[in-house]
Amino acid sequence: MKILLAFFSILSLGLCLAAPVLFFLGILPEARFKLALLLASLGWFFLATAWASYRKKKPS
Amino acid sequence: MAERLAKFTSAMDRLYEFDREPVSPDKFQSGGKFAGLFAGEHVAATEFVIGAFFVLHGVTVRDLLLGLLFGNLLAVLSWTLICAPIAVRTRLTLYWYLRKIAGPGVTLIYNIANALLYGILAGAMISVSATAVGLLFGIRVPGLDAVLPTSAGWVAIVFVFGAAFTTMAILGFEKLSRFAEVCSPWIFAIFVAAAVAVLPKLGVERNLGNLWRVLSTKVWNGVAVAGQEKFGFRHILFFAWFCNLAMHVGLSDMALFRYARKWTYGLYTAFGMYPGHMLAWICSGIMVAAIGRQMDPGRMAFEAAGAAGIGAVVLAGWTTANPTLYRAGLALQAITPNWPRWRITLLAGAATTVLACFPVFFLKLLDYVAIYGLVLMPVGAIVFTEHWMFPLLGIEQLRAEKRGWAFNWAVLAVWLGTLAVCFLLPIHLYFKWLPGWFIAAGSYTGLTAIQEGRQRSGRRGPVAGGEAPTATGEGR
Repeated sequence: MKILLAFFSILSLGLCLAAPVLFFLGILPEARFKLALLLASLGWFFLATAWASYRKKKPS
Repeated sequence: MAERLAKFTSAMDRLYEFDREPVSPDKFQSGGKFAGLFAGEHVAATEFVIGAFFVLHGVTVRDLLLGLLFGNLLAVLSWTLICAPIAVRTRLTLYWYLRKIAGPGVTLIYNIANALLYGILAGAMISVSATAVGLLFGIRVPGLDAVLPTSAGWVAIVFVFGAAFTTMAILGFEKLSRFAEVCSPWIFAIFVAAAVAVLPKLGVERNLGNLWRVLSTKVWNGVAVAGQEKFGFRHILFFAWFCNLAMHVGLSDMALFRYARKWTYGLYTAFGMYPGHMLAWICSGIMVAAIGRQMDPGRMAFEAAGAAGIGAVVLAGWTTANPTLYRAGLALQAITPNWPRWRITLLAGAATTVLACFPVFFLKLLDYVAIYGLVLMPVGAIVFTEHWMFPLLGIEQLRAEKRGWAFNWAVLAVWLGTLAVCFLLPIHLYFKWLPGWFIAAGSYTGLTAIQEGRQRSGRRGPVAGGEAPTATGEGR
């Protein structure tokens, strides 16, 4: 579980960085880039907070 | 008076009781922990303002890059060569070490000064966050020369933010603090994302072929906006160096480095400096250029990154104002004995919120950062001198502790005297602290040597010379 949370958290953060690159390259229009950034951000907060909680509960 | 001072200082000692003993080896932390700590600590709401101001001050791209590169290097070296070695040798916080050197009375004054400075900094962060939400309600950000609140709407939004931040600081929910922990990497990602996203608006081609030309003509073009002073390489170099002056040369970060295995752990501050104080400042510079060089952090982030940008400004303000409010409250707790924590935090939050209504604190943030470091710098110089120079010169160390002084008047005189001299020095505010450091170190050494000479001749007996105090009893 911890590994999955870590993986998807980092993936979300990666998407936050990928979205503007895709917009810069003209692959994503501005509205979609901003929506993708928002969704990836929400994903990061949800997953990374759960990951941090998991780490606190079960230190390895 | 003496009884009142004793009451305050014993209340203050109780607050810091936990840190009283030198850190034991089993509590030392790994280098990775230090890297993570510094990486998270230096991406704050103020980064949205600082980098943008460099553009408004007409810095050229070359001066910016070289200034940040070398200025941050000097900051890292200051942590590594000044702060970390003293922390590792003593394993004490600055609070307890200063108490031994200057006495509890001076330490109390230092704490109060720190609380006031922290309060203003937290106020600036609340103001920055307010610019983001003000945008949604059509509330205009005060102009660059504004000192007083410019509209009722601005005051209302600052009060809402101040109340929210203070309430969260009082409640201190564990889940909220966990949420705050995960904010730093994301805020940094939003800085980068927003800067990349505005590149097409500035005219950067997809193959990046004209990137340097755009940066040097449309972002850092060397032309200051009306009313702003022109900055060059020296200003950027010094700003990057003194931005955390209170922490490195001022020795506040002894609190962190006392947990370091080696003094070389100071080099880990580079993980905070280069992403936070170089890349994030560059990103905010690009963002402000894309909105026509207007100092409006909320609009800057919104136009670049949409709702996520607004969220980044608000969260960057909250995550940094929260611990700042806590520290201000902790420092104030000494002069409000028996007050519960919530009441002190409420007091600190209310004062901070009132300060945040005055836009001058965030619009003059660069100058404020310089003043903040300058005010606390002489204390760092005094501690450095006492720790390293006094043993070499055969001057007795830790006299306040050994003789039970409440005030080491030499410390207080040098601190205030240095600030007075710095104020009068006919040089730019950014450069005053460096000669000030040597003035403080030299005058403290001279004053203490004279005092000791008088005492020696009065007693006609030898005075114990000092070996630098260490946690283990061994020098490094």
